[in-house]
Amino acid sequence: MAITDLELHSFVRLPTIADVLQTLADRHAASQKTVVLAGGTDWVVEQEMAPPHKPGAELPMVVDISRLSDLQTIHLNGNLLTIGAAATYLQLRRHPHIGMGDKRAALLARMAQDLGALQIQARGTLGGNLATGSPAADGVAALMAYDASVVLQSVRGERTVPITEFQTGYKKSVRAPDEIITQFQISLPTHYNWYWRKVGTRRAQAISKVALAGVAVVESGQIQRIGLGMASVAPVTAALRNTRSYLCSAPLHKLTGAELDAAVNSDCSPIDDVRSTRQYRAHCARVVVREFARSLGAPV
Amino acid sequence: MSQGPSQHLPTVGKSVPRADGTPKVIGTARYVDDLPAMPGELHGATVRSPVPRGILKSIRFDPNFDWSDITIVTAEDVPLNTVALIAEDQPVLAARHINHAYEPIVLLACADKRRVLLAKNAVSLDIEALPTVLDVHESLKNTHTVWGTDNIQKRYLITKGRADTEDSVSAIDAVLAECEVRVSGSYSSHHQEQLYIEPQGVVAWWDESGVHATGSLQCPFYVHKAFLKTFGEQPSRIHITQAVTGGGFGGKEEYPSIIALHAALLSKKSGKPVRMIYDRKEDIEATTKRHPAFCEIETGCDKDGKLRAIKMRVLMDGGAYLTLTPVVLSRGALHASGAYEWEHARIEALALATNTPPNGAFRGFGAPQTIWAIERHIDKVAAVLGMDPLELKRKNILKLGSVTATGQVLHTSVAGVECLEKARAVSEYDRRRKAYSEKQGRIARGIGAAVFMHGAGFTGSGERYLKGKAAVDLLPGGRLRIRTASTDIGQGTETVFRQIVSDAAQVPLSDVDFAVPCTTHVPDSGPTVASRTVMVVGSIVEAAAREVGDRVRKEQQASGGTFAEAADRLLAREGEVTSLLQYSPPSYIQWDDQHYRGDAYPCFAWACFIAEVEVDRETFEVTVTNFWSATDVGRAINPTQCRGQIEGGALQAIGWALFEELVWDKGIIKNPRMTNYIVPTALDAPPFHTVLVEEPFSFGPGGGAKGIGELPMDGGAPAVAAAVEHALGIPMDDLPLTPERLFARSASGAQT
Ligand SMILES: Cc1cc2nc3c(=O)[nH]c(=O)nc-3n(C[C@H](O)[C@H](O)[C@H](O)COP(=O)(O)OP(=O)(O)OC[C@H]3O[C@@H](n4cnc5c(N)ncnc54)[C@H](O)[C@@H]3O)c2cc1C
Repeated sequence: MAITDLELHSFVRLPTIADVLQTLADRHAASQKTVVLAGGTDWVVEQEMAPPHKPGAELPMVVDISRLSDLQTIHLNGNLLTIGAAATYLQLRRHPHIGMGDKRAALLARMAQDLGALQIQARGTLGGNLATGSPAADGVAALMAYDASVVLQSVRGERTVPITEFQTGYKKSVRAPDEIITQFQISLPTHYNWYWRKVGTRRAQAISKVALAGVAVVESGQIQRIGLGMASVAPVTAALRNTRSYLCSAPLHKLTGAELDAAVNSDCSPIDDVRSTRQYRAHCARVVVREFARSLGAPV
Repeated sequence: MSQGPSQHLPTVGKSVPRADGTPKVIGTARYVDDLPAMPGELHGATVRSPVPRGILKSIRFDPNFDWSDITIVTAEDVPLNTVALIAEDQPVLAARHINHAYEPIVLLACADKRRVLLAKNAVSLDIEALPTVLDVHESLKNTHTVWGTDNIQKRYLITKGRADTEDSVSAIDAVLAECEVRVSGSYSSHHQEQLYIEPQGVVAWWDESGVHATGSLQCPFYVHKAFLKTFGEQPSRIHITQAVTGGGFGGKEEYPSIIALHAALLSKKSGKPVRMIYDRKEDIEATTKRHPAFCEIETGCDKDGKLRAIKMRVLMDGGAYLTLTPVVLSRGALHASGAYEWEHARIEALALATNTPPNGAFRGFGAPQTIWAIERHIDKVAAVLGMDPLELKRKNILKLGSVTATGQVLHTSVAGVECLEKARAVSEYDRRRKAYSEKQGRIARGIGAAVFMHGAGFTGSGERYLKGKAAVDLLPGGRLRIRTASTDIGQGTETVFRQIVSDAAQVPLSDVDFAVPCTTHVPDSGPTVASRTVMVVGSIVEAAAREVGDRVRKEQQASGGTFAEAADRLLAREGEVTSLLQYSPPSYIQWDDQHYRGDAYPCFAWACFIAEVEVDRETFEVTVTNFWSATDVGRAINPTQCRGQIEGGALQAIGWALFEELVWDKGIIKNPRMTNYIVPTALDAPPFHTVLVEEPFSFGPGGGAKGIGELPMDGGAPAVAAAVEHALGIPMDDLPLTPERLFARSASGAQT
């Protein structure tokens, strides 16, 4: 049903993170449904696709977190980059340490530029991207390449989870119903190579058929540290563990294309769907990993 | 201030701003869903078949659902259960036989829109499934008869030369056997969804004056005809009005009759106004799309490239019902031999029924499918001959005095060569073609061209039967009002008609009004289709405006005063000053409908499109990097709008070639959403380099305008495919050219 036909939800905008957490806790304790809303670019679309609510059915209360400035701050402290969960893609693109200035985390800006189109980038957030749990999430792939940590908060306290452990299955995660994602923490290498490639048919408003984010620290001809995140090749964002270990296993010049392909194949389980085919996705997964490895000096 | 003819500044040829531009941009234009709710209004919804073919055994209404405020309409409530079009094979609501998925079966209405959606879920259909026919090849075998006696909805045969005088098959085979070089191939093209921005929608109600429907539509009189048939009302009691329409591309030619009938049926039964608006999913699933086509071609030519003979068979997928398929097939067949001269030709075209939603009108109307085939084929002939394809096209292109496959002698407004040479020059085709033929890296470049023509106006004697009418009225103060059923659906009719009238009557543009197309108030100008609006209806409007202008000026000469004063005197004296005229086609047109021979169209518009692409040879993503075109429009009444039509049409064709693909699973569409039915975005549009060529057609308005609406859809796909083929060196005979398909056809794809 059309968005204009959505049932009226109760909608609140609370002054502080603490208020949001308290509301979540209280409502959860009373078995009442609550949705935190950031950009709304996933949630509203999901409502449109959902069947109509039965009369009298309980609707979730919507708590808007998009204007909580504490959730939007981005700052760099030494090598530690902290990004508020409700910072928008446009904020990333315009930030002096990300898309502008010294571009210490240029990968995030490059990814953001390919996400949806400008309208979506002005509203969408990394927190929403991760919480939705889609394996096609471009932002999550980039966060995974940086081996980011996810900071979760509730009235019960704060905890930090490695991004690779956040998703536990298709649309499932470790987040408890009374928790919100408050920020992402990234420990930036001083010098590193990065890679971003989205394969998605058209230049804007494209859901990734395959996307690869990569971060690598190369010293004396060998990869010392590698981070990879790949979208749309598995039920959750793929960390490509075998590929990571293969790439670090030997000096770059000893890596071979065939072995690299085999590692990528073992890390991916793409499917056929309306957007693409299993074979094409598997092929592109190999192609983009090779391209990244090649850019680092591997003869693949 | 006097307004003599000497003061009039011509507007034709100037890119005046669009009359409908401001209200659309600032949001005051009212599309059908923006019209204020009428008192007591209900929302309508449709229960559709989930299967492509079967027998409806029963309809069950969940007894636990509260039906008290729901209006229910089934086939039993339809006075005459057929949608009036060419044939009467399509029911308004399926009663027993179900012939395609999404076929409407039950209509529901309720004041609460959410309740009507819940009610939909409370209806269950008991359907006994029958074996299905889902493509033309299956349909041709006729293992299961799903339409008529043999699944064949329509057949045409066009013959020329020896194929015309002897038994056509053995004659053409004999001619081909004698040719020095023979080439054969088959080429397929796929469905395309119009994807107008505004989905289909209608508001219908009954009152003491009869039945009313206002909606997003191209052809108010088609809906009028459908109401006449189904409701059996007096013509004067049926009032069909076009609301501001957000695009049509042919998709709102015949389909609006169905949604309007549905809304009016619900309104009749409930006694309340009913609003029916499709969402995107329902629109993509249930409404018409471009006919898929499969074409086999065999041609013969001399070693030096002189084309001699063509034998071609076109199979088009009509879908479950006839709708406008015979006309689409006709235009496809008439464009099948391309922009080239053949001594001998045999073109057979068949439309076949399948258990898929009926295919229908879509910009180009069958021509893009056959032009796709012939252009790809000529490129193949060039490859066999070792000749440059554009050179081969140049050598064989129809010129003044040439004779087409139907025997039409082209004696006016022929600009194929000029378009070809202009596009070739601005694109630096020869240099690029050579450069990109060198060895390529990961990013391969290619360039390719399509040369084509498109007949403007109705086929053959169509306009003679149709007798399109339009009127210009004189209003107080010397204003003029155009009354026509030709609708502005975003393509700019209103603006261009005002320009034509302004110049013909010599009045300022701001003094010309355009009446809302409502069947009660405007004459039947014929449908807004077939690239006929400007060329045909525009010329009626022009003559009518000239007549009214002359009458006022005569009065001015007789008794003085300004144009406005003379107009007021005339109105005071005569009450009504109107010129209502009927179209008379050029007298030279001779057409034999029986043998499909003669002047297929009063004239053709011509074009050459050249596409340049970059293909990533690993991911098979294609980027169109440049798009050059030279298009003969006769006379560009509004050059900016003309360019808009050309560039928009070309982009729609690029989308058809590279991105768009309906994914089917046993007759069901798997991607009925804008997120997965991929059309190009603004960022995918290449830089367009558009040259307008003006080779006037003496019967066209404004000094010789020809039809331009459909032409740009014809050449984009074959030009892009030629460029991709040039870049990759893999034959591109089947649409679409999605990365997945290119990959599967490539060597790396073949290995996996
Ligand atoms: C046209 C269009 C194009 C798109 N293109 C892309 C694309 O190219 N790539 C891509 O990856 N995605 C794309 N998306 C999806 C979407 O824009 C992104 O996933 C975006 O990052 C979602 O963020 P949001 O703030 O809008 O989330 P919302 O819709 O506000 O929220 C989504 C979900 O996350 C929860 N949530 C949000 N923030 C938090 C938080 N801080 N803590 C806990 N839970 C939270 C919400 O409760 C909700 O369940 C597109 C969407 C649209 C409509």
